[in-house]
Amino acid sequence: MRDRELREWRVLVRARADAEWRALSSEVIDELACHLADQYAAARRGGASDAEARGVAQQLLNAASFLELSKRPRARIGGGYGHDLKVAVRQLRATPIVTIVAVLSLALGIGANTAIFSLVDSLLLRALPVKDPERLAVLGDTTIPANDQSWTYAIWQQLHERRARFDNVFAWSQWRFNLSERGETEFADGILASAGMFDTLRVEPVLGRGFTEADDVRGGGSDGPAAVISYSFWQRRYGGAADALGRRLTLNGVPFTIIGVLPPGFFGTDVGRRIEVAVPVGTEPLLRGRQSMLDERRAWWLSVMFRLKPGQTFDQATALLRSEQPQIREATLPPAGADDARRDFLKAAFVVAPAANGTSSLRERYRRPLTTILVVVGLVLLIACLNIANLLLARATVRRHEMSVRAALGASGWRIARQLLIESLVLSISGAALGLLLAQWGSRVLVQQLSTRTNTVFLDLSLDWRILAFTAGVTVATTLLFGIAPAFRTARVAPIEAIRELGRGMIGSRRLTLAGTLVATQVALSMVLLVAAMLFVRTFANLASRPIGFDRNGVLLVNVDLRRAPEPAEQRRELGDRIVEAVRTLPGVKSASASALSPIGNMSWNGAFQVVGAPPQTGRQRLAYRNALAPGWFATYGTALVSGRDFEPADRAGSAAVAIVNQAFARRFLDGKSPIGRTLRIENSSESPLEVVGVVENAVYRSLRDDPPPTVYTPMAQTIDDPFAQLIVSVRTAGGAPALLTRSVAAAINGVHPDLALTFRPLADQVNAAMTQERVVAMLSGFFGVLALLLAGLGLYGVTAYAVSQRRAEIGVRMALGAAPAGVMRLVLRRVGVLVLLGVLAGVGLSWWASRFVSTLLFALEPRDPVTLAGAALTLGLIGALAGWIPAYRATRIDPAEVLREG
Amino acid sequence: MEFGGAIREAKKGTAELVVLAFLEAEPRHGYELTQLIEERSGGALTFNFASLYATLYKLEERKWIQGRWVEKSGQRRRRYYKITATGREVLASQRKEWRQFFELIGDLAGVRYA
Repeated sequence: MRDRELREWRVLVRARADAEWRALSSEVIDELACHLADQYAAARRGGASDAEARGVAQQLLNAASFLELSKRPRARIGGGYGHDLKVAVRQLRATPIVTIVAVLSLALGIGANTAIFSLVDSLLLRALPVKDPERLAVLGDTTIPANDQSWTYAIWQQLHERRARFDNVFAWSQWRFNLSERGETEFADGILASAGMFDTLRVEPVLGRGFTEADDVRGGGSDGPAAVISYSFWQRRYGGAADALGRRLTLNGVPFTIIGVLPPGFFGTDVGRRIEVAVPVGTEPLLRGRQSMLDERRAWWLSVMFRLKPGQTFDQATALLRSEQPQIREATLPPAGADDARRDFLKAAFVVAPAANGTSSLRERYRRPLTTILVVVGLVLLIACLNIANLLLARATVRRHEMSVRAALGASGWRIARQLLIESLVLSISGAALGLLLAQWGSRVLVQQLSTRTNTVFLDLSLDWRILAFTAGVTVATTLLFGIAPAFRTARVAPIEAIRELGRGMIGSRRLTLAGTLVATQVALSMVLLVAAMLFVRTFANLASRPIGFDRNGVLLVNVDLRRAPEPAEQRRELGDRIVEAVRTLPGVKSASASALSPIGNMSWNGAFQVVGAPPQTGRQRLAYRNALAPGWFATYGTALVSGRDFEPADRAGSAAVAIVNQAFARRFLDGKSPIGRTLRIENSSESPLEVVGVVENAVYRSLRDDPPPTVYTPMAQTIDDPFAQLIVSVRTAGGAPALLTRSVAAAINGVHPDLALTFRPLADQVNAAMTQERVVAMLSGFFGVLALLLAGLGLYGVTAYAVSQRRAEIGVRMALGAAPAGVMRLVLRRVGVLVLLGVLAGVGLSWWASRFVSTLLFALEPRDPVTLAGAALTLGLIGALAGWIPAYRATRIDPAEVLREG
Repeated sequence: MEFGGAIREAKKGTAELVVLAFLEAEPRHGYELTQLIEERSGGALTFNFASLYATLYKLEERKWIQGRWVEKSGQRRRRYYKITATGREVLASQRKEWRQFFELIGDLAGVRYA
């Protein structure tokens, strides 16, 4: 037997029972369906067409009253919400395509919003996971915000002496520990912290103990240097073994003893970073060797955090410290000679600022990009909602008959609207559930995207009440957004329409106006997103393609840590020469050289210069960046020598001090006149005057966005000050990928000296890491821009296809009267054109207004860039044309004869 | 044939009797019943399809008839109703009552009953 027939009737009977708010047992439904199927079959046997036979059975069903068949009305537990829910699920399953499209676009929209919000939450909103975080405070001053301020060890000691004025206080400094004993480095993020950290943050180690004042002494406590490790580090490296306590952990070549394990979930005070190892500040001389900063009164490297006493306010704490500031200043003044430093020392007044959210270097950098992307994904969700509202409107029109039957049976407008709103809620909750999963995955991927090789970003992305509340709020808001118009439009249906089949045209056209408005809004919002995406993608492209003054590809950087090399400074220079020599002769190496710093690294070095005989510069204009180089560095980097000569092996200690400057230096210090042969003096330095022997082209130094700054290069062999105790060996390959050289270069350097710590990184990787923020913003906005475009296209297609179906009869008549297909196509496309045009115009206005918020995120681009606006408008026009063409083409294929028969 | 108001009223009570009568000879399913009733009455008697089943369920509840799902080969699974012993008794007594009733009406109203 044709069971499909039976199934279809079953669905119809059930819908009919629902319409009457009656519960039928499935047996009864089966029996009624069987009857109707028999009726249909009999009519067919009697010679009726399929439609006629169906009509006969349908008439039977329409005339039926289920009042006597059900023993009870539909169960109305909880005011009938349970029933509404069941009906909603059934309705959604009856139109699977609409449901899947709606749920997927909601999942994408809600997921994106939740993902970005969880980043915003963990980076900007969340308090540190410690007890009473609102009593934590950091120390800054009136010129530099506490988040960026750091202090000397001498100042910290003064503050430490005054710790009883507060609940507690501690100082810390971020550190990347090298875990390997020799050769290639393996890093773990961590901090140097004073003993007060555990008490200030109220952190109890889960195993062992935290370090005490006895551990936090110069060179480590009586039991040797102690270290505390994080829970995840303990799990990863020691498999969570209890006997990890007391084991040796090599940090930068120094053996430490593990004395405690931090609790899970504790990541430190720097949001965006996770502590894996913490050691006492007092062990700094062991780690930094001769470059120790404990006694260096000009080295500002420690952050200071307080826990206020209960009831103590931030203002009280600030006043307290300010009253003692003169004594602290007096006790910590830098030595005579550093006059500038002495003059400005602790001039600005202390400020004790709230630090419940911890400190973060990422926070300020990503505040605006994240907020921008949050707006972007919010708009995407809005567009998705408009799409779903349109889909539901179309479906609501189809279900008008069903709703009017309900109205005729006494269901109130609210009851009908409620049914539809519950359907919308089911849609958005499904979307939200899926979206939450997407968000969990997406936010992790995003955090990975923010990380670079030298900077592992860690954010606590666990679900908290704020994220759940956000998602729930978004879900309810979306439900109302896309559900309310269709619900109330349908609820207004008059019962009389159950009987009348007229009025379709009226309802249809009213729906079209609303749908048209929704679609034009979609186009406008998509335009905004498209403009944003284009701006950000072009910003990234501009940055990536801007001339940087050297060829980033094909160069391997090797950071050689000299801090713990036993040789004195003079011999280390000679060591550098030997390393470069050993590397240069390796197969696959085209050239190699060495320098103190690498471009776009995380360190910079500047000095105040004057050119003898030129007008003196003042203030910040005196400052130029510096680097110390071995011969052949410019050739290795591909930086062109404009005039003069490169450094030579003859430029060594004892010979005439020379320098090479870049064109930006010549422009600022000499009005563009040739600096060759001129003499440079370095202020506040014991270095002898330098004679300029060469000029090179400009190259970026610290930032890709800034114009290349004036830069002075000196020969490594002549540079007395060696502020970094590192050697960057740059190796240009003969053609292969730079990373492939890692092993042979490591072996060659180990051959020269076995105990050096080496860190490898391709130059391109280091340069590109400086574009992380722009890359992520471009990637996200590009993705969502395309998504918005797709959604707008779908919306346009949907509303046009619906309009064509509504006007089938009219189009058929026109064609019967001789209208050409081209004319029909124009008729349909004109409507699409008007919608797109209105949307684009509104979109241009919106983008114009919104552009001022993103100007700081752009590079070499005006926020109101006309090319971008025109490009976005053109793209939307093309999408609109495509979305309109498909239904328009279908319209031209309408067979007038068939339409007239139907009519 | 169209009945006037009086008969239409009376028809309501007759539904149970008619259904029982048609099930007396053999078990039948709902659709078959409507067809039979329509055929035998020449289209004069029709049941609303929903109320036919309402009647069947009522009779079943009173245990006058019994329904059972039967699947015959090559046919759709259908619910067949069979008259029970109680049903037969009820049918017999109702037949008697109706006969007496019609005779009475015939005498009183001058309607000859063949």
